[in-house]
Amino acid sequence: MEYDIKIQLDLHGVACPLNFVKTKLALEELNEGELLEVILDEGDAMLNVPRSLKEEGHRIVKVEPLGETFRVVVEKGSS
Amino acid sequence: MSDTEFDLAALRKVGMIQQKQKEYFAMRLHTVGGDFTSAQLQRVAEVAERYGRGQLHLTTRQGIEIHFVHHSHLEAARQALESAGITMGACGPRIRIVVACPGKLTCRWGIIDTKAIAHDLDEKYFRQETPHKFKLSVTGCPHNCAKATENDIGVMGGISPVWNRDTCTDCGLCVNICPTGAIQKNGEDYVLNEAKCINCSICTSSCPSGSWTVARRGYILWIGGTMGKIPRLGTRLGGLIETTDRLYDLIDRTIGYYRRNGRKKERFGHTIDRIGIEKVNEEILHGV
Repeated sequence: MEYDIKIQLDLHGVACPLNFVKTKLALEELNEGELLEVILDEGDAMLNVPRSLKEEGHRIVKVEPLGETFRVVVEKGSS
Repeated sequence: MSDTEFDLAALRKVGMIQQKQKEYFAMRLHTVGGDFTSAQLQRVAEVAERYGRGQLHLTTRQGIEIHFVHHSHLEAARQALESAGITMGACGPRIRIVVACPGKLTCRWGIIDTKAIAHDLDEKYFRQETPHKFKLSVTGCPHNCAKATENDIGVMGGISPVWNRDTCTDCGLCVNICPTGAIQKNGEDYVLNEAKCINCSICTSSCPSGSWTVARRGYILWIGGTMGKIPRLGTRLGGLIETTDRLYDLIDRTIGYYRRNGRKKERFGHTIDRIGIEKVNEEILHGV
């Protein structure tokens, strides 16, 4: 399925919590309902970032494995 | 001063361990889950300075030892500690201090109140005699920070998840973050392989739409773990235990079984291997 991605962010190699901070800053550039694509490392990044995004009211639309990383599509929530 | 003037076994029972410098003792202190108040730590520091050499050792079981206390100061040091509510630990063939992680009181992953359980176990079993040393640990969830599987008995918090089709948005996060690959997509459905599930709660806490929820919550019991000369990880005893009463009953049965069947100097895990895990499990779970 194709998504209308507004911003792409490659956070491969970026550790917690900086990866979440960068994701959050990118989401601030978007309007509610628009999509961000972020590449996250397996392990701690995937354990923490989606959970923190959920707590901030954003929505995880799709998660797909990409080698040792994951492609995560996030929809900006109302803040 | 010769060894015979000390009752070394009696001293070891209360955590006073003769050093290789025979005039001196290490004082091993009691704690539950490594908790001390700041006032207690200050008292420990004072006692170490006054009666020892200011030298403290943090043990692998979250405890504290005061080293280099001269035998003539043991009683005074002990009284100074006890007046601050600090009692002595244990050594030798008996139940040692209970280890615990912080658990659900402060940890975002914690599933159970580790401190309450550790205190119950401490109150009931601490310093009781067993065939060989016997160690208990309480860990809040399957992240296993308090190493439940490296103790003779390990209590672990756990949950059993369930999927709700109506709210699922099909993002696929669960399949990709389940640490054991227990969640798979089968057609339109997400399916849990219960044999692979380690009851960790990563799916239920991460699911963006709240479609993975906690169906059951409880305790997982690990028996026979040990490090030492012949390491052996604990074996899981049965499934998710849903009441504290059943948990405590099983722990009681387990310790009783070890007392009846363990040989001197034989750690419980090696008793299990000698007798056979199926037989031991059966007798603990269903025996009289």
